[in-house]
Amino acid sequence: MARTKGYPEALEKKLHEQRFFREDSNPEFSKKVKTLSRTIPHMCYQCGTCTGSCPSAPRSTYRIRKFMRRVVLGLENEALTDPDLWLCTTCYSCSDRCPRDILPTDVIMTMRNLAFQRDIIPVNFLKTVTAIYASGHGVPNNDVNRAARERLGLTRDPPTTHMYPEYMPAIRKIIDHYKLKANADRIIKEREG
Amino acid sequence: MAEKKSTTKKTESKKDTKKVAPVKQEVKKQAAAPAAKPKAEEAPAKSPIDNLAKAEDARIGVFICHCGTNIAGSMDIEAVQEAAKTFPHVAYVDNYKYMCSMPGQTVIHKAIKDHKLTGVVVAACTPRLHEPTFRTATKDGGLNPFRFEMANIRDQNSWVHMHDREGSTDKAKDAIRIAVAKAALLQDLHPKAVPVEKAAMVVGAGVAGMQAALDLAAAGIKTYLIEKDMSIGGRMSQLDKTFPTLDCSQCILTPKMVDVGRSPNIELMTWSEVHEVEGYIGNFDVTIRKKARGVMTPKEAEAKGIVGGGCNGCGDCEGVCPVIKPNEFEIGMKPRKAIYVNHPQVVPLIYTIDFTSCVKCGLCVTACGPEKRAIDLEMKDEFVKVKVGTAILATGYDIFPIENKQEWGYKRYENVISSLEFERLICASGPTGGHLVRPSDGETPKRVGFVLCAGSRDNTGTGKPYCSRFCCMYSLKHAHQIIEKIPGCVPYIFYMDIRSFGKMYEEFYYRIQDEGAKFIRGRVANIIEDKATKNLHVMADDTLLDRPIDMEVDMVVLAAAIQPAADTNRTRKLFGVSCSSDGWLLEAHPKLNPCGTTTAGVFLAGVCQGPKDIPDTVASAEGAASAASIPIHMGEVELEPYFASCIPEKCAGCGMCVNLCPYSALSLVEKDGRTVMQVTEAKCKGCGTCGGFCPGGAIWMNHFTTPQIVAQIDAFLLGGEQ
Repeated sequence: MARTKGYPEALEKKLHEQRFFREDSNPEFSKKVKTLSRTIPHMCYQCGTCTGSCPSAPRSTYRIRKFMRRVVLGLENEALTDPDLWLCTTCYSCSDRCPRDILPTDVIMTMRNLAFQRDIIPVNFLKTVTAIYASGHGVPNNDVNRAARERLGLTRDPPTTHMYPEYMPAIRKIIDHYKLKANADRIIKEREG
Repeated sequence: MAEKKSTTKKTESKKDTKKVAPVKQEVKKQAAAPAAKPKAEEAPAKSPIDNLAKAEDARIGVFICHCGTNIAGSMDIEAVQEAAKTFPHVAYVDNYKYMCSMPGQTVIHKAIKDHKLTGVVVAACTPRLHEPTFRTATKDGGLNPFRFEMANIRDQNSWVHMHDREGSTDKAKDAIRIAVAKAALLQDLHPKAVPVEKAAMVVGAGVAGMQAALDLAAAGIKTYLIEKDMSIGGRMSQLDKTFPTLDCSQCILTPKMVDVGRSPNIELMTWSEVHEVEGYIGNFDVTIRKKARGVMTPKEAEAKGIVGGGCNGCGDCEGVCPVIKPNEFEIGMKPRKAIYVNHPQVVPLIYTIDFTSCVKCGLCVTACGPEKRAIDLEMKDEFVKVKVGTAILATGYDIFPIENKQEWGYKRYENVISSLEFERLICASGPTGGHLVRPSDGETPKRVGFVLCAGSRDNTGTGKPYCSRFCCMYSLKHAHQIIEKIPGCVPYIFYMDIRSFGKMYEEFYYRIQDEGAKFIRGRVANIIEDKATKNLHVMADDTLLDRPIDMEVDMVVLAAAIQPAADTNRTRKLFGVSCSSDGWLLEAHPKLNPCGTTTAGVFLAGVCQGPKDIPDTVASAEGAASAASIPIHMGEVELEPYFASCIPEKCAGCGMCVNLCPYSALSLVEKDGRTVMQVTEAKCKGCGTCGGFCPGGAIWMNHFTTPQIVAQIDAFLLGGEQ
């Protein structure tokens, strides 16, 4: 807070947050996202094709282009603490159309992983982890679905872990290897008691 | 060691051969430049092998350039100089801050005289940049200019090993050792001068080709102007107005078209293609395919004895022709007959039959009548041979097939059109008489979306990675035209950057914004058609407002990317011109020689070299015309004396090399009762294909002789021991 106008501290902080200062940017963050996402986020020229293609954008405040900009400038905290990070539906429309051949979806997924390392994650995502751990499905089958499947001449359960529960131990082994379930349980407990 | 012995032996045997095997070297013309004259007179009777320097007598001077800090900053010049002093044959070593400067060159002249040098090695940049400079310096010092060898210690050393001082120093020593080994064996060579045909060819008669042809003709040079279409004018004749002056495109182009048609020095060949090219600078033999047109010009008719006959452009034939096809000039938006002209102002005004759709009913022949007798339904392609000294390629561009970017719906949605279609629709002589209408219902649009960078600046592999350079400006012009012609019509321009870089272009941008065009900074993600109204929803992100947009418009104009014209690749190969990875033809140097190519005597004009607007195209055409006229006005050109020579005593006359030569420079001849190979030196480019292949070692590659190359390899592998 080198530059000050002598306002009360809270107002100074608000003013500071409205501007972009060099020290806000962490070049290491840009490099890290580039390596982990295996795409080229630093090549973004901000044309907006991603947001224009995004099914989430017209229905929410999620702006994929803005996240790409934050990666270019290394705005780590701003990117990882923005709740909009979790509004991507991973439809890959942006990745299909990006004229710079970047995969913005993969950049978002990378930042979600980095955020999770700091325990920044909405609880509903963690509940999905719990569901997968229990059934092998993020959205497990239910009776409405089962009836619909029957009407279509399909088996009541799909040929997945629902039909072959004997594969569940292997799925749990993978999840446990990354301590995903343990972390999910811990965070859910912290937040919901 | 054994290897070294054998190579040395080989070298000696070559030297022996040269004494008994004088190669006939005819000098067609005494050398061109007066300075080279006395030397050229010495040469005739001698074999090129006779004056091969004997390594043991060689006294080589090595000159190391610092190139400011370009070289000196990354290596130890002192250490390189000390090492160079120890190399065999080195009689003198010096270094200088800028060897190419006048004082630097003086160092070379002086050393040649003071130290009785027989060869010069300059360790500096690349032969491409400064070989001519140092050859001149070598010549000024009293040596044959081909006694010079360059060691590249900058582009291939100091620049790439900028942070490895020790490594780059060692590499520089190696490079110099290798160059010295060759320099010790360099021979005197004498460039040949060949006369230049006082005629030129221009391929493509768009605005670039026409301007180049007019300039060449005005300079008194007979010019063949070849155009694959039936009439001249190219893309520019399809445009309505030009930015930023809003001149009518046809109005400013027609006088040039008429001049081309009238110029006594221009031989215009429309409906023609270059079929074959042989020869070299000064003497290109070009075969032109005159495609069967089905209609004779008055000149052709007269040649056939039909006095006062031939096509006069009356159009009687068109009236009776029963075949209807889409007119390509109007991008299919207007019908034409099987016998037709592109538009009413064509030059030359000669009808053409589209034989792929003609049913040969003969109605046109009857309509043409017994006096003109212009139509010949049995006409066949003809081949015409011409000889020219230089050639200019002006093959232009095509519109990128924008339907490949499926998200914008071109060819799927009726009201999505390309910018070239817009030009025809807004043009008074176009299919709608200048009324912009929606293709779906013929209604006048009230809201028009313009999609910029449609296929340009696209790295996905579907589009083009480059900026097509003039789409921003013509889209601004389109915006102006609809505001002017349709009261209340609003243009919405979806852009990423507006590139208004030319003279008065930024001012034009200001003007169009002032007139009411709406600029939305965001690339269009996709377009969705309303099935009922055929209106279009343009989906984009207003990046400045940070809000996604769903903009309903009546019509969308895609500012499509451009790509090299369809036949460019075939034509460039005929002339031996390279292209870059995006297909545009490759200039000799992007800054210092933008009109030249790596093939001597072949030049580039206009968009075939890369996207250009009309002012840049015309400037480039004038540059190409000027460059192409220089060899013609000089009267003769010097050819690099790097040609192959045959050693008849060793030649078995097998003829394998004759078939291998990519330049048709070799032939078999009878000599003293034997069949031996003979080189047409002017055609030979010195590529070495024959020399590398010859099973008997009978081919001597001047300036790249086997002993010279073996010495270089030895110098590198064996550290310069001889």
